[in-house]
Amino acid sequence: MAELRKRGLTTAVICSDPFLKLAKTQARVFGVPDLPLVIIPHPLGGLSIEQVEGRALVAIPQVVDLIRSHAK
Amino acid sequence: MSGLAGLLKAEGASLEAEDDFEQINKLYLERGWGDGLPIIPPTARRVEQMLAYCDRPWDEPVAKIAPRYGEATPLRLAANAVMAGCRPEYFPLVVLAIEAMCEEPFNLYGVQTTTHPCAPLMIVNGPVARELGINSGHNAFGPGTHSNATIGRAIRLALVNIGGATPGLGDMSTFGSPAKYTYCVAENEAASPWQPLHVERGFPAEASTVTVVGAECPHNVNDHESLNAQGILTTIAGTMAITGSNDPCFEAQPVVVFGPEHARTVAADGYTKADAKRFLQEHAQLPLGKFSKENIDRRFRVRFKEKYATAGLDALVPVVQRAEDIIIVVIGGAGKHSAFIPTYGSPRSVTRALKRIDGQLAKSVEEFRRNGIN
Repeated sequence: MAELRKRGLTTAVICSDPFLKLAKTQARVFGVPDLPLVIIPHPLGGLSIEQVEGRALVAIPQVVDLIRSHAK
Repeated sequence: MSGLAGLLKAEGASLEAEDDFEQINKLYLERGWGDGLPIIPPTARRVEQMLAYCDRPWDEPVAKIAPRYGEATPLRLAANAVMAGCRPEYFPLVVLAIEAMCEEPFNLYGVQTTTHPCAPLMIVNGPVARELGINSGHNAFGPGTHSNATIGRAIRLALVNIGGATPGLGDMSTFGSPAKYTYCVAENEAASPWQPLHVERGFPAEASTVTVVGAECPHNVNDHESLNAQGILTTIAGTMAITGSNDPCFEAQPVVVFGPEHARTVAADGYTKADAKRFLQEHAQLPLGKFSKENIDRRFRVRFKEKYATAGLDALVPVVQRAEDIIIVVIGGAGKHSAFIPTYGSPRSVTRALKRIDGQLAKSVEEFRRNGIN
């Protein structure tokens, strides 16, 4: 993911909230401290299909914003 | 101390502190540099004594430790070994274990950061295990032996302080594991009826090796009744066949620790290690219907659809995909017990031999000793 970002592609890591610190640290470690993070509520496992769709609804506007900002 | 003094001048390589045990420990705890237990302050003198048993350049990384990918130089590893209470002669094994677990197939990044409670299990084989008195007998996984306790602890401290496995930050384990304090044992080669692990993996018997496995804690297998191989192996296979471990979902290499008495019973029936592995692979299987409906519908039928897309609930799910992937070691003293050690699943175990800087196998840790440091 870091490599894609470095190549200038629209890139993001989807991350649930308890993993935010780890994700930010890893982005720094891999040399892309500005790597966009799409934050969704925890957990990821043990969800009904409706709950999974709910996570997607949280992620989609963030991804759309990311693509829009990248296009500018 | 000229070489070390120069290295310690680099930015961040050292800090000035009052020579006060309690104050230094308070400082280390505040900065998150440790495992919560008191540490031995890594003074320049102690670190240099540790490095007396290192034949590599002290400032050249032997590996990078995930997830921070911090450079594991002998200097940094020595500081952690001092903090853990290691004797200098243990240091070559600390370096070797770190090198082994930083090899790509081990997936240290996963082992360090996962929510799963795994820790690198370090199994030592060969003459150096005996030279350093690494316990392979009674209570080998437990407390009481200096080398087991401190070598394993040095590994943990390096994983935290160099690798960044800080709880809740770089180590996301849901609840961790006591194995994360220290997890270092030797195989009881003298009490084993079979080839030791390192010989089985192609190393000469006189080599000393470290094998690392991304492992859970041992789960005991009590069998005081069985009189033959089939009986003992049936009990072990039954203990392996559990729904909640990672192993059935990966090409895992779980560990079966035979207590010497169980091993002798199995071997006395003519079972080689390979025979025992075959039996365990064939019998450590559980019906698909033992898993929850969601695990069947959302994992087995989808992720392993070639095997289970339309399989009935009585279809058997093996805990281990290939018999040869089961790691068998003999450890322990008297008693009718063995143990099953489930794993994180995806990482491959790695075995590395202890070698001098010239590439030759080391027969003794004394071959690493540098002259002129006391």
